[in-house]
Amino acid sequence: MLALNIENLSVVFPGLSSPALAIGHLSIAAGSRVAITGASGSGKSTFVNIVAGLERTRQGRIRWNGEDIAGFSESRRDRFRAANIGLVMQEFHLFPGLSALENVLLPARLAGAATADIIERAHALLSTVGLSRPGQKIETMSRGEMQRVAIGRALLRKPGVIIADEPTASLDAESGEAVGDLILDLAIAEGSTLIVVSHDQRLASRLDRCITFGSGRISEDSTATAGEAA
Amino acid sequence: MIRFILSDLRRLWAGSLVVVLLVALATALGVSVVLQERALRLGSARAADKFDLVIGAGGSETQLVLSSVFLQPSPLPLMRGEVLGKLAADPRVDWAAPIGFGDSFSGYPIVGTTTMLAQNLSGGLIEGKIFAREGEAVIGSAVKLSLGGEIKPMHGLPEEGGETHIELVYHIAGRLRPTGTAWDRAILVPIQAVWHIHGLAAEEHAEEGAESEHEHEHEAASGTGTAEHGHEHEEAGEHHDGHEHHGKLDPDAALDESWTADAPGLPAILVKPKTIADAYKLRQEYRSGNTVAVFPGEVLTNLYATLGDAKQILVAVASGAQALVAASLVLVTVIHIGQRRRQIGALRAFGAPRGAIFGIVWLEFFFLVAVGIGLGFALGYAAALLLSDMFSETSGITMPVVFAREDAGLAAVLLAFATVLAALPAVLAYRQSPAQALRA
Repeated sequence: MLALNIENLSVVFPGLSSPALAIGHLSIAAGSRVAITGASGSGKSTFVNIVAGLERTRQGRIRWNGEDIAGFSESRRDRFRAANIGLVMQEFHLFPGLSALENVLLPARLAGAATADIIERAHALLSTVGLSRPGQKIETMSRGEMQRVAIGRALLRKPGVIIADEPTASLDAESGEAVGDLILDLAIAEGSTLIVVSHDQRLASRLDRCITFGSGRISEDSTATAGEAA
Repeated sequence: MIRFILSDLRRLWAGSLVVVLLVALATALGVSVVLQERALRLGSARAADKFDLVIGAGGSETQLVLSSVFLQPSPLPLMRGEVLGKLAADPRVDWAAPIGFGDSFSGYPIVGTTTMLAQNLSGGLIEGKIFAREGEAVIGSAVKLSLGGEIKPMHGLPEEGGETHIELVYHIAGRLRPTGTAWDRAILVPIQAVWHIHGLAAEEHAEEGAESEHEHEHEAASGTGTAEHGHEHEEAGEHHDGHEHHGKLDPDAALDESWTADAPGLPAILVKPKTIADAYKLRQEYRSGNTVAVFPGEVLTNLYATLGDAKQILVAVASGAQALVAASLVLVTVIHIGQRRRQIGALRAFGAPRGAIFGIVWLEFFFLVAVGIGLGFALGYAAALLLSDMFSETSGITMPVVFAREDAGLAAVLLAFATVLAALPAVLAYRQSPAQALRA
């Protein structure tokens, strides 16, 4: 379980006068479940990239349980993300030609982390997300099934935080609902902090806290539990 | 990781195939040029090896070697026949044999010579025996004719519209062992017969002298001359009866191999000196005056010094082609990486370390290029073999296609290049931030 603490963050892209994202202070408590909403271009994706360490910042601190990933090198951030952050994206980024199980295990295998325990967990996760054929080739699956495989992959190494970026946006209403439920249930079951970027009001409303972005800033922060906002 | 690479290659099989083929063809071009050039050099050197010293009338040394060693038809100036007699009597000479060209049969050159050469050229016969009479011939191992067959000599070559001699029909008496030289395609006949056909008979007394000296040979030939020979004789006789105006030649005439001063002019004499020192002395001696004496090997070396430049041009052209392919591979790589940016970004986002991604991209590309190089060597080898076979078919010269140690160097250079080339996409992949890559 990881807690997030952001201070004086400012992300500026070349050619843009105003920062794409500017957060004076933001805390997300360990184990909390937070929805991030906002219009397109409001800075949601930048927020995800920054807190997941996919993008580097020059200004500000992003602390996960006190560790400032803004100060990490590229490869250290890669390692940190691999060990602590489970990512689910709008596009599944699964690899055709490999089976569901192989897709779940691929990043761990490449990182040399695929122990017998991890492989066993991969099997268990696939059945948890409701896939009974771990050997099925990924390209033969429906989109809903693919996103389930992606959820299994995100949870494989027991991440302290799950970050889902529009996990239901590319799915039809029915499977989107099922996937949303699955992510929420699994985050609760695993005890992970959950950050979900979503337009999906129904999904957002089921989370503890909803942070709304506008023009790169936090415009609204409805704290159901004891969150802090700046 | 390997499974991932394999499934990736399967997915991108068309592009991979193109990369492999590009590399293979470029490599094959370079390899076949090198191999073929080596085969030509080795083949001709071995062909020339059989002939230690060639003596001819003044003129082009290269032409003399090409005509005598490689049996390339060309008009050579003639030297006086007495040179042969002098050489045959020289104690430094193991054996000396005259050669006379000009006729052909079915595209095979007919070479007039003596029993001396027929005995020594290939170190024996596969079948039959050496010619002992004017109407007999010995064929090289690659001549597609059978023993006892008829040979009707044609003046010049068929493509030159040569005229068939009807004065004499040779019968094949024996077949030589393979020598790997142009002589495997030659038909050896007594030079005396060539002279007679072309009206260059030596003086009468020379033939008389032969009667006593070579009687045993004649007898031997007659002794083995069974019904078959009789038949041949009859046939030849009939043949000649029909064309009496061409003058009558006796195919059963005994061979005269005593070389007197009156022997007709000769284009070339092959000489086997007893020792190397003798070879140099003989060359020195016959270089002056109206004759030239050459070591075929040396003439070839000079020829290669000239051809060496040609080889460099070929190698430069092949290298140019390889550079073009390398450049196109870089292009393919950059485009390929562009297409794979998202995949690479995703792998990193989900926790694959950059080293592993570097490894995957590098290994995948290196694998393709290495397969291409391997295939290229095989293709180049096959192409060189094919070319050598085609060349051997027409020239009779065996062209050994062999890899030498320096080819391993070539392979190493190509692989090193592939290593660097494969690192390029890997480095490109390594330098992107995953967020950038995913946005692409």
